[in-house]
Amino acid sequence: MNGKRIRVWDLPTRLFHWLLVVAVVAAVVTGQLGGNLMDWHGRIGVGIVGLLAFRIVWGVVGSTYARFRQFLPTPARIKAYLRGEWQGEGHNPLGALSVFGLLGLLTAQVLTGLVANDDITFTGPLFDLVSKGTSNRLTGIHHLLSNAVIALAALHVAAIAFYARVRKQDLVRPMVTGWKEAASGESATRGGFVALVVALVLAGAAIYGASGAWLPAPPPPPPTAETPDW
Amino acid sequence: MKSKLLLALLTVAVAGSAAAQMKPEDAIKWRQSAYGAMGWSMNRIKTNVEGTYNKEEVVKAANVIQAIANSGMGALYLPGTDKGTGWEATRAKPEIWTEKEKLGKAAGAFNKEANEMAKVAAGGDAAAVKAQFGKLSETCKGCHDDFKAKK
Repeated sequence: MNGKRIRVWDLPTRLFHWLLVVAVVAAVVTGQLGGNLMDWHGRIGVGIVGLLAFRIVWGVVGSTYARFRQFLPTPARIKAYLRGEWQGEGHNPLGALSVFGLLGLLTAQVLTGLVANDDITFTGPLFDLVSKGTSNRLTGIHHLLSNAVIALAALHVAAIAFYARVRKQDLVRPMVTGWKEAASGESATRGGFVALVVALVLAGAAIYGASGAWLPAPPPPPPTAETPDW
Repeated sequence: MKSKLLLALLTVAVAGSAAAQMKPEDAIKWRQSAYGAMGWSMNRIKTNVEGTYNKEEVVKAANVIQAIANSGMGALYLPGTDKGTGWEATRAKPEIWTEKEKLGKAAGAFNKEANEMAKVAAGGDAAAVKAQFGKLSETCKGCHDDFKAKK
């Protein structure tokens, strides 16, 4: 118990994680309920674009265990893990599959959502970039993938429960505090201030791109046009 | 007695032939046109709620939706028209003809909220209109989710 502690998850990774939890839950709920909440569904989606962009950049320039190279789930690593021979800290190879799965799935989900429509009054912020037919098809995919997101998130939570009960390993606490009891392994390094600024700037750029604020505004109606009384 | 029977037969024959005369292609077109008019009206209400509120415009739009909701559009869902092309390929799902009770409930909910929308629009309170617009949208979704193919 009084073994050494290592720092596995840096603050930006933890903040990303919990913000993503809140945002995905909110996106699922607003999407299911519809109505006036669709405006929020769209805003939350743009927010998730920012979170995903941040995490992808952070996966390259972040601290040790947040880096994708650190936890690439190669077949060799997965085999070793299943045999119980894997040694390491951070995401284990199976967990890494889940991480890449969720990031990939959510990326597909926001990309389709940005151009989606609900055949009522909601259109994604980049709807104007595609034809209605394309938007319809991508909306169909968006709906299908929402089930996959829910399923994978449920699996993620179930796996955490499994590790807590069967393996007696608390995965939640390190994601909250950043610290983990570990006999071996080194604390995370790198992912300093400059890296953080770079990741935040790119995330901001992604949000701007997703918001559609850069799309040309619709031309204003001709000033002299009067609405006829029929 | 005889003439009554004859009249009844004649009525059935005329009504039957009227339905038979509706071409599937037309039925699909009219369906799509009705939804198009409602789409216009829903967007019109939304624009007013989000921008400068014009009571008269909202009343006009809400009345269109109410009129279509009460027009008995179910008659346009001829058997077999889950396939076919009107203005474009229909996106009506076959469940429309198999899950009648569920569809009836969804359509009934839409009808109720459309009537309420017209009432609230006549009241002219923008906040109330926005709330009712949300409720009405939910009933559109109620059918789209289960009975309209995404393609």
